[in-house]
Amino acid sequence: MNGFFRVSSDQTCLILLAAYEELKTLAYSVCSVRVEKGRFRKCRLLCSAARRVEKRIVRHSFFFVASSLSKSKKMGASLPTKEANLFKLIVKSYETKQYKKGLKAADAILKKFPSHGETLSMKGLTLNCMDRKTEAYELVRLGVKNDIKSHVCWHVLGLLYRSDREYREAIKCYRNALRIEPDNLEILRDLSLLQAQMRDLSGFVETRQQLLTLKPNHRMNWIGFAVSQHLNSNASKAVEILEAFEGTLEDDYPPENELCEHTEMILYKVSLLEESGAFDKALEELHRKESKIVDKLSYKEQEVSLLSKLGRLEEAKKLYRVLLSINPDNYRYYEGLQKCLELYSENGQYSSDQMEKLNALYQSLSEQYTRSSAVKRIPLDFLQDESFKKAVGKYIKPLLTKGVPSLFSDISSLYDHPRKPDILEQLLIEMENSIRTTGSYPGSDVKEPPSTLLWTLFFLAQHYDKRGQYDVALGKIDEAIAHTPTVIDLYSVKSRIMKHAGDLTAAAALADEARCMDLADRYINSECVKRMLQANQVALAEKTAVLFTKEGDQINNLHDMQCMWYDLASGDSYFRQGDLGRALKKFLAVEKHYSDIHEDQFDFHSYCLRKMTLRSYVDMLKFQDRLHSFPYFHKAAVKAIRCYLKLHDSPKSTAEEDEMSKLAPAQKKKIKKQKKAEARAKKEAEGKSEESTASVVSKSGKRNVKPVDPDPHGEKLIQVEEPMAEASKYLRLLQKYSPNSLETHLLSFEVNMRKQKFLLAFQAVKQLLKLDAENPDSHRSLVKFFLKTGSTSAPTTEAEKLRWSVLEAERPSISQLQNKSLVEANKEFLARHEVSLVHRAAYAEMLYLLDPSKKTESIKIIEDSTNKVVQLNGALGLAREWKLKDCIAVHKLLDTVLLDSEAASRWKARCAEYFPCSTYFEGKRSSVMPDSVYNSSRKSNENGDTPSHPMGQTELSDGQLEALKSLSAST
Amino acid sequence: MVCIRRATVDDLLAMQACNLMCLPENYQMKYYLYHILSWPQLLYVAEDYNGRIVGYVLAKMDEESNECHGHITSLAVLRTHRKLGLATKLMTAAQAAMEQVYEAEYVSLHVRRSNRAAFHLYTETLGYKIHDVEAKYYADGEDAYDMRKYFKGKQNHQHSHGHHHHHHGGGCCSGDAVETTQPEDAKATTSK
Repeated sequence: MNGFFRVSSDQTCLILLAAYEELKTLAYSVCSVRVEKGRFRKCRLLCSAARRVEKRIVRHSFFFVASSLSKSKKMGASLPTKEANLFKLIVKSYETKQYKKGLKAADAILKKFPSHGETLSMKGLTLNCMDRKTEAYELVRLGVKNDIKSHVCWHVLGLLYRSDREYREAIKCYRNALRIEPDNLEILRDLSLLQAQMRDLSGFVETRQQLLTLKPNHRMNWIGFAVSQHLNSNASKAVEILEAFEGTLEDDYPPENELCEHTEMILYKVSLLEESGAFDKALEELHRKESKIVDKLSYKEQEVSLLSKLGRLEEAKKLYRVLLSINPDNYRYYEGLQKCLELYSENGQYSSDQMEKLNALYQSLSEQYTRSSAVKRIPLDFLQDESFKKAVGKYIKPLLTKGVPSLFSDISSLYDHPRKPDILEQLLIEMENSIRTTGSYPGSDVKEPPSTLLWTLFFLAQHYDKRGQYDVALGKIDEAIAHTPTVIDLYSVKSRIMKHAGDLTAAAALADEARCMDLADRYINSECVKRMLQANQVALAEKTAVLFTKEGDQINNLHDMQCMWYDLASGDSYFRQGDLGRALKKFLAVEKHYSDIHEDQFDFHSYCLRKMTLRSYVDMLKFQDRLHSFPYFHKAAVKAIRCYLKLHDSPKSTAEEDEMSKLAPAQKKKIKKQKKAEARAKKEAEGKSEESTASVVSKSGKRNVKPVDPDPHGEKLIQVEEPMAEASKYLRLLQKYSPNSLETHLLSFEVNMRKQKFLLAFQAVKQLLKLDAENPDSHRSLVKFFLKTGSTSAPTTEAEKLRWSVLEAERPSISQLQNKSLVEANKEFLARHEVSLVHRAAYAEMLYLLDPSKKTESIKIIEDSTNKVVQLNGALGLAREWKLKDCIAVHKLLDTVLLDSEAASRWKARCAEYFPCSTYFEGKRSSVMPDSVYNSSRKSNENGDTPSHPMGQTELSDGQLEALKSLSAST
Repeated sequence: MVCIRRATVDDLLAMQACNLMCLPENYQMKYYLYHILSWPQLLYVAEDYNGRIVGYVLAKMDEESNECHGHITSLAVLRTHRKLGLATKLMTAAQAAMEQVYEAEYVSLHVRRSNRAAFHLYTETLGYKIHDVEAKYYADGEDAYDMRKYFKGKQNHQHSHGHHHHHHGGGCCSGDAVETTQPEDAKATTSK
């Protein structure tokens, strides 16, 4: 709400006012906290900053509280002088946040004129800032009712809605206000902001045009009108407006202090010309204005883009080389250069002639930019076989000698190639052997430092991990740790291997070991927290995470800082443990972060017009428009829907009992105890929240206590009446923003089947088939759908008849089902994928579903699958095809769908052989074995213990210290 | 190989995630938006070969001071991507933009007294000098070094606070462009 009663006459004053208000609030609210905690230094800084701004405002001669309201002739006109002055006082008090004072003045007027609309409205607005929302709305609405012809009353109601993010309602109110006062700049400007926010683009154009007509001497109004046209898909109109504006400028424009803004405006105009396809005009404009553009890098990047689009490749080539000499680490320049030389292919496939040319190009570039790693890395993508082997060896060796920990991840994309992984393996083994025997790389007589062997083993461990040979990987990393026990990265990698191998408990223990080696490093703390959550150690994870959050409300700090990976990881953990309330709480928190970020754009609609950062502004709007397609949101929405599906499938009362009945008595006791403690904590929290609501409004009327979350554990969330209605909300967002994700349509299928919305479910099936018809889940959905809709009895109602006829008409369009029964379609599916475990499992499941008497056959299909060896050349054991997560899914299928516990335990025993580290299959090397070093009953640092503090001293034994010294000397 | 380039708005979520992974000083998304919508030239990212953001620098121009200068709000490189010189490359790029676009006199930053790795980077590799010590600057009570690096040809200005300088420092020090002011709690640290 800052500075909402903005001074219409002067833009500068408006900026200052807004800044002042914000800074002051911030300074004083931060200070009150800081003073309590004795952080005077920070406090002083903020207060002096606030004072500085204050002084500048006072210096501004035209600074007087002159809001559009107090200036308006009509305002308070109906009141006698004394009351009219009081009314001005309300407005002023509101602006200076002296709400109590304002309230007093309002009451004084209302004593004499109890039905005065504008006073009622202002009183309501003041109360709104004191967190008395209900009263606020009552009063403001009454104000409008009593004085429906007052634009002030409508404006205030609009502001009230705006403060609650009810933008549609706010727009209506502003429109009503403008009907009474069509030329009120203040209201027009407020309306334009809301239109930008709501992407009411034609309305936005209209309002901005009106503002320009009313005040053509303001730069901001020209720019605003141009931007509105641009957003409304009319880039060439926007150019015209900017040109008209430029026509009003003097020749020596801009003054010295506006060069940056002017640069931004020129570059914006050029980008508009580019967008409208006028590349030659854009280039011409860019060249003409060169001397006025202070951002030389943007100039060059824009120029090269235009030259390329105009096909002036010789010039573009030269310019790319100039850009590379400025920054030889920007691989977009290399890509651009390759395109100019017509040596670029999207899929990385080149003819041998092209390859030679490319190789020559990068040869010459590497001589020019000796310090750039890009020139050495990029050729590894296109080189093949012998030349690849030579180049990759040359690339890797110095990095192993130097000990660069990210080397493996840097070249991991090469593992998608059919032959390159084998070449790498061969090469690395040669190097390992050579270093062991001679101390040098093959064919070299330069002695390597001892650390080279360490980093070679480190690389090999990751190599075998990537290939699924976990036992070999563990052997390598263990040897590396024995070699130098003080290198933290080794433990992080070992932890990751353990995770892949299926032992999350061991992975968490290793990550914790790494964390304890450098308590001041947040990265390894975060990694450890992630592993703990994966191992379902939520309490311990939380305690570990807060070691790095600020004092005060610790876990909330992660929330306040929008730490989404944490929300997701702990939500997943709760979900796995069946605590749907807490899981939902976390997933919905991510959704809240996204809506806050979406909200964040509001202040920038006016800010960027002043600051002229228009290219970034337009980028930001586009970013906001597809915000919900970013991965964190996608994941959170998917998980939230899964929670709702579970809630739907297990009616409230029994869900908990079910969970309990599965547990051992000792665990039951523990959980009961936990529940009691929680109930107590909840009671206390409720008590506190009552207190805090009471103390929310302090003397100054400022908010100073954060409202307490009334449902910290999501207990209310799982009481939801219609889980499928909730799920549909998030489903709609997924459908809009992640239409190409298989998961979106799988969930749509699940939700709509439960809602008996068969046509929507059918849409989902069609989408699944379109995206990936051979995916086992697509196949499952197809069979389930037609089984369900085919088995329902003959249609009786009109709606059913309609649905039935639609499906009848559509069925022939599904190629999988043409002239085939479901059983036949299922058989064909198996025939196409006979060697794949996941497809066989889907076939078996559908076979059983279509005909429960085929249970034995189903189980046989699964058990007859073979886990092929895919990796033979290494002498160090073999890699097999099956993935751990697929095997676990098959086990669950046998156990809970096919309901054959004997088959399930046969499967378990078989998989325990394939995955000896897997805790799920109780492999013999997993931490569930009593003799494992990671077995939780042997570990002292059990769930709930307080981890060591990061700022504390790292405890190293003397031996370790020595080793550390020798290591730092050797690298 | 890691790509060093100017950040775009699309990078901000990944920058925030990178910050939360490695630094104790964190910011809400609005603060990142504020930076890129005020000084789009001063944000750089390090993007690894798989397209992941593994480091960034977040910087700004100080509008309140008499001398036009830049300030490093935050610098981070993932621990897994050390020893590649990324911090140096990111800093060099941001500093160059401050000097060229905004004609900054110098660039300042704060660093924890105990953060020897970062201190070493700033003094030895990048040429920063201690300007002042701010007692108890950090929330946990630790002191900060207030460090500065003067740009080429500007060293002689070092003791001329308050004088008028001839520069074309655009929005930087222009009279009336006061920003939506943000907390001055920008701290530069590298993950060690």
